[in-house]
Amino acid sequence: MLSDVRVIELSAPPTMMAGRILADLGADVIVVEPPGGARGRRLEPFLDDQPGLERSLTWQALNRGKRAITLDLDQDDGRALLADLGRGAALVLEADASVPMRFPETVVRCRITPFLSTGAKADYAASDLIVMAASGVPGITGHPDRPPLFYPVPQSIMEAGAEAAIAALAALWARDNDGLGQAIEVSARLAAMMSALSVPIVVPAGNPGLQRAPARQKLAGVSLPGMFACQDGYVLISFAFGPAFGPMTQRLMQWAVEQGCLEARFGTLDWPTAPQQAEKGSLTAADVQAVVDGIAALAARHTKAEFGASARRLGLLAAPLMDMRDIDVSPQYRERGLWSAPVALGPQGPAVADPARFAQFSNYTIDVKRPAPRLSQHTLEVLDKDLGLSPLEIQALFVHGII
Amino acid sequence: MSAPLAGLRVLDMGWVMVGPVSGRYLADLGADVVKLESARRVDPLRTLGPFKDGKPGLERSISYHNLNAGKRSITVDLKDPRGREAILRLVDWADVVIESFSPGVLETLQLDYPRLAARNPRIIMVSTSLLGQTGPHARGTAGVGTMGAAMSGASLLLGWPGHAPCGTYGPWTDSVAPRFIVPSVLAALHRRRSTGEGCHIDVAQAEAGIQFLSPAWYQYAANGTVPQRRGHAGSPLKAPEGIFRCAGQDRWIAIDASAGGAWRRFRTTVGGGLLDGAFDTLIGRLRGREALERMIGQWTAPQDAAAVEQLLQAAGVPAHVVSSASDLAADPDLTEGHYRRIDDPVVGEAVIEGPRFRLARTPTCETRRGPRIGEHTQAVLRDICGYDDAAIAAMQEAGILR
Repeated sequence: MLSDVRVIELSAPPTMMAGRILADLGADVIVVEPPGGARGRRLEPFLDDQPGLERSLTWQALNRGKRAITLDLDQDDGRALLADLGRGAALVLEADASVPMRFPETVVRCRITPFLSTGAKADYAASDLIVMAASGVPGITGHPDRPPLFYPVPQSIMEAGAEAAIAALAALWARDNDGLGQAIEVSARLAAMMSALSVPIVVPAGNPGLQRAPARQKLAGVSLPGMFACQDGYVLISFAFGPAFGPMTQRLMQWAVEQGCLEARFGTLDWPTAPQQAEKGSLTAADVQAVVDGIAALAARHTKAEFGASARRLGLLAAPLMDMRDIDVSPQYRERGLWSAPVALGPQGPAVADPARFAQFSNYTIDVKRPAPRLSQHTLEVLDKDLGLSPLEIQALFVHGII
Repeated sequence: MSAPLAGLRVLDMGWVMVGPVSGRYLADLGADVVKLESARRVDPLRTLGPFKDGKPGLERSISYHNLNAGKRSITVDLKDPRGREAILRLVDWADVVIESFSPGVLETLQLDYPRLAARNPRIIMVSTSLLGQTGPHARGTAGVGTMGAAMSGASLLLGWPGHAPCGTYGPWTDSVAPRFIVPSVLAALHRRRSTGEGCHIDVAQAEAGIQFLSPAWYQYAANGTVPQRRGHAGSPLKAPEGIFRCAGQDRWIAIDASAGGAWRRFRTTVGGGLLDGAFDTLIGRLRGREALERMIGQWTAPQDAAAVEQLLQAAGVPAHVVSSASDLAADPDLTEGHYRRIDDPVVGEAVIEGPRFRLARTPTCETRRGPRIGEHTQAVLRDICGYDDAAIAAMQEAGILR
């Protein structure tokens, strides 16, 4: 769909997801790295837990489908070659320190910064941990009696990169209209705040702050847990009320009664209006505790897969907590076509399926055109074919450490 | 200069979060977004807080304003053939349709993609649900984004070893999925410009979640390691990197001072035991991690978290308070650059979020309030669908416009 769009990605961790989405949608994405390799190549985890510029699995995951060249942008020749490359590009992606050079006015230049570049924290030193701390997400994730929780996979680079893809493509639409590019700025902190959901607007709306808690919901004063242990792991079970989701709770209770885990009266109770009944006192704390215990017993009798199947059959607000192995063997993801053809992880590495197809299109298929590029893999190709440099000139650039 | 998507027309049939957030991106970017609602089957987001001043009410949800800012709202009964025809006239008008019904519902309503495309072949239609429209588990899987988080592998990654997982904060995939929907729509629009082709885009919210965890997938697929929850903030390959308790209840500072320059500035700022030569090198800090973290914790414990943030940032050390809801509300980065004031006839003045990016030449729209239920039904039926006043009155009479 973007086959006529060339993207130049001055690689930094937050640009990687942006370039990947654009490549998945068909763009020709050329990654520009310093001769020593992009920072993204040093991100954990590593293939077989052994470090190496071609062994970062985070790099592999976020750079599939792209080509890569090296250019030393601290040297005049590096910047001149980038400028030449820029003339054929629609979009340039960059992060952190902006490269001090001009592109033609037809280029959309999208820059990701940790905090707003015009704001009070513009000069803040940052990293994934810092941006996530500022997002409001960890502050609300976990238990009140334990420290805030962070994802073990860096999230600010995902949030910022995906946000940048949106902004860049909106500017591409404007460029399609009038042929002009522009400068875009994406704040990683603002992007990451999206996953804090309504937390940023709670206090400005005149409400007290929120406490960190895994289950914020209470009924008749009893906390309603969200996670229950099952035979081979955990399942998520949500208790929801009201006209939209209350019937799903009703069906859960009926099933628990059928399974002998709950007294019959809880199957016939009107669950959509349970909060009102608790308020009136007709649904007591002892009742709610009995229900929570009954649902725990129900979960304990089943495996994740069994529970998932029942949740689908009955229409419950419940789902198995899947790990990567479960995702691998899930017939849903497999038959639907989430996985690309296997992608090779370097010349000696294994080939792995990639969950590339984030969307299914009626007349387009996301496919991985090539694995993540090795360092400088496409330098010769781009300098020769795209920029028309001679073999002698290319060797000279290498001798001078420019490529 | 007008907003980049000025002139683009969107019918937003989503509810709760994923569809509406996708629609809000397009509205901020200048599209005319008409949201389909029902006064009988109210968008659950209208019943979810936060509410202005904590007082509930269908027109008082600030979350609703936050996700539906700048849209118009119509109420039309899709089950009635006349209501269905009104929607088809909106399809004639629209460039983009977004829907998040449970898989199969639109078929029943005879408003599925083949029917819409027959009416308007240029239409770009997005269907989004937890597991998508196809596959053995797609039908029957309906619900909320906490389920999407569970099935994407995220929920299990949050918690402490040896304890039950905590799960994500809220319906996590609701925030992730729009980031894949909107680029897909914009790419399809770009293609349509040259080929005239519309398309159907099917986004499974759980699959969108997997994208944000793709390094964990590669770790499993390449190394055979199933990533687990680890509780501890920061990487085992960095020291010091993590969060440390400060003075007051539940106050924390995140510090990343592992890299050479940041470490030297940090140890000079903190002094004391950190000056020990054993911590000169990264290997020394990794081996002495426990003692190092204990000393840092002793240094932060009596201090105000915001003061530590300012002190360390002034020294060039990456640090930030682990922000609470109250911290976000008072953060100058946000109060000056992100929060927007809206004025609404029901809630009065309120604060919602602005866009998360700036476009220099074609700026996004000024942030507006969300609509009241059915606020624009008459205007949209008249101006877009082409009904005259008598026809609208007849539909009103027949109870279709609720």
